[in-house]
Amino acid sequence: MNLAKLKAALRLPAVLVALMAVLTIVSPRFLAIGNLSNVLWSVCVIGILASGAIYAPITGGIDLSIGSIAALTGIFVDLLMNRAGVNWLLAIAATIALGAFIGLFNGLITTKFKVNAFIVTMAAKTYLYGIAMVISQGGMKSILKPAQFLAIGGGRSFGLPNPIYIMLALIVLSHILLTRSSFGRRAIAVGANEVAARLSGVDPDRTRMAAYTVSGATAAVGGIVLASLTQQSFAGAASGIELDVLTALVVGGTSLMGGSGSVVGAFIGAVMVAFIGNGLNLLNVPAPYHPTATGIVILLALIFNMGIAPRKRGAAGGKHLRRTS
Amino acid sequence: METKTAAGRVLLDCRGISKSYTGPQVLDEVDFSVDRGEIHALVGENGAGKSTLIKIVTGVTDRDSGELEFDGTAIPRSHSKKAAQELGIAVIYQELSLIPGMTVAQNIYLTKEPRFRALRLIDLRRMNDDAQALIDRYGFPLKAADLIDRLSIAQRQTVEILKALSDRASLMIMDEPTSSLTSAEATRLFDIIRKLKAEGISVLYISHRMEEVFDLSDRVTVLRDGRKVATLEKVKIDPAEIIRLMIGRDLGESDRGRRMTRKAGEVVLDVRSLSSPGLFRDISFELHRGEILGFGGLVGSGRTELVRAIYGIDAYDSGSIRYLGKDYRPSVRASIAGGIGFVPEERRLQGILAPISVTRNIGVANLDVLTKAGMVSGRRELQFARRGIALMNVKPDLPDMPVGSLSGGNQQKVVLGKWLIRDLRLLIIDEPTVGIDIGAKEEIYAHIEHLAAQGVAVILVSSDLPELTRLADRIIVLRKGRIVKEFDEGVVSEEDVLLASSGIVEGARR
Repeated sequence: MNLAKLKAALRLPAVLVALMAVLTIVSPRFLAIGNLSNVLWSVCVIGILASGAIYAPITGGIDLSIGSIAALTGIFVDLLMNRAGVNWLLAIAATIALGAFIGLFNGLITTKFKVNAFIVTMAAKTYLYGIAMVISQGGMKSILKPAQFLAIGGGRSFGLPNPIYIMLALIVLSHILLTRSSFGRRAIAVGANEVAARLSGVDPDRTRMAAYTVSGATAAVGGIVLASLTQQSFAGAASGIELDVLTALVVGGTSLMGGSGSVVGAFIGAVMVAFIGNGLNLLNVPAPYHPTATGIVILLALIFNMGIAPRKRGAAGGKHLRRTS
Repeated sequence: METKTAAGRVLLDCRGISKSYTGPQVLDEVDFSVDRGEIHALVGENGAGKSTLIKIVTGVTDRDSGELEFDGTAIPRSHSKKAAQELGIAVIYQELSLIPGMTVAQNIYLTKEPRFRALRLIDLRRMNDDAQALIDRYGFPLKAADLIDRLSIAQRQTVEILKALSDRASLMIMDEPTSSLTSAEATRLFDIIRKLKAEGISVLYISHRMEEVFDLSDRVTVLRDGRKVATLEKVKIDPAEIIRLMIGRDLGESDRGRRMTRKAGEVVLDVRSLSSPGLFRDISFELHRGEILGFGGLVGSGRTELVRAIYGIDAYDSGSIRYLGKDYRPSVRASIAGGIGFVPEERRLQGILAPISVTRNIGVANLDVLTKAGMVSGRRELQFARRGIALMNVKPDLPDMPVGSLSGGNQQKVVLGKWLIRDLRLLIIDEPTVGIDIGAKEEIYAHIEHLAAQGVAVILVSSDLPELTRLADRIIVLRKGRIVKEFDEGVVSEEDVLLASSGIVEGARR
């Protein structure tokens, strides 16, 4: 790794450390294990969703339906276990499969009908929310059993909440998938220049479909964790979370134009946004000021981050030949 | 130097125009003029300096030295596109400068819409009426309210011309305006051009299509290697003479041609009656082991479409392909797996993954070999990349470098290198050396020749005539999607190829 690359790779962690240093100075309570684990815990669903949602922007698309998928799958897993009496492990497997299927469907519509991913997943966000409303009969339902299921989100292992482990495991897995697997290579290639990728033997449509499938599957995992953690399911359970995930991705250096992104960066991005909120709490800043402060800090982080996100690319010309993006 | 024609005085006058970007002189002391109401053709091989001259006239590029005068006004060394436009110089683009979702009228009056006095709102009715009046004056088959999306390329071109007319342009520059038109559409365009001439508007016409040039032009200026070779009056225009001037040698002096040789070896590719409607028709040829088969022809003659179909990017309609003795149904994946490499035209748009490292660019084309159980071996990928870099002498030899930040020649070396490290049987290369420096060009030639010597069959599509005649063992010339000439024996010179491409040679007609 050459120096320039190392510098670029360390830029984001440096911002994180700087932010932590500032927060430590202004509030001694910040560095307490309890506080840090609380922050991690608060971003676990965002982190889980981001680990899979990153593939859509990397291929030059976007997935706005992940919040609705998470809510729908949360309701679905509860119905399977507590209405249909399915074993909790089987129910989870079926739920993840459902999420993957919804993602595949999104990918199919985008690629085969050449519809802009923004529109396809925006529509999916709406109709999936509708389906969730129908099957939950518009109500909020408490999930009180089985205990094994509730332990997924509510339990602790080695002193830390379980969702943190799930998030970290998915981040690591996704990092490997993106950087080491041939799927990751193809996704980046399609996002960087679809035409050139196709001429090199990459099937852009299949790659895109796989990207949305992964996105749907991790959204289902997020939905399961969220349902277990909050012990409830309802159609609005994760509404708006797709924007938090997008924020984490973009702060973490993922280009919405396609062709580049970092899973670890997305994780750091999610944590940073949470630290900001946490810092404001520790400083006793009144709640009404939080959104403004958070927005400004995100903007600053992005500007500082321009070194990671690709500048205006010379390859932009390649976009003219793209069929969907 | 200037010859005043009967049509009137000089409109555009260029004297001693010189330009160099980096290094070689692109334009060297070019004198050139267009008279009022004249159709003036500008011809020359690729790289002769035509586009640069146009760019200087239209204010896209600054000249290094020389005088430029338009309609009696001296144009400063550095003038803008907008200033050129205001003077009355218009470029007719093919389609790219129109906004698809808008109407003909909206496009014609874009940024200069007629407005109501109150609130400066756009007067839609007046805009449509004005546009329709303009259209009707020239008798174009268009409606002011038509959406650009719905128009053919030829109709869009007409809108471009209308736009220029509404700007009161006195000089219209058309760069290869017929390259994507049908012959009926081209004929209609020529009528329009003659109508413009009758109105006293000058047209500067750039084309490789000789018959158009001869039919249409009052004068022809030939550029070669950045210099003006000659300006010929209509009466003196002779097709063969112009081609000789473009290439720069006399017919007798064919020693720089190349002797064609039909290779006898095993047949690698056997294409029979391949057709794709509107692109190419009834193409048949054989390609042997170790043979470099060149495809000559003008831009738009169907060469690129043909090789894309053979590689499996686009479907063809009828005909058959046999590859290595077996029936072959092309797909990109099957081609790669079967040892076919493809270097596309337009390197930046189709060849490279600009933001991604050299390693990844080479890796992507070799994922089939590098992947085990879905995982890519980073170590082997880097080995592949280093092999490619060393083989092709990519500079700088940094595997982590984004390909987009390499020079054009080195980018092309990466595109070629990713195939050369594979076990290749057939390499298809389309315009491999456009826009790359002479050193890298020579290296790429050496690689192509070396590959052929090793037994790889090569298909070379090139509009660079010296390149084609130098590398190819045989040359097939395409014209309007059909094979019009095959050179497989005897000495072939650049002008032979160009004459066949232009449809001038008797024997080339079929």
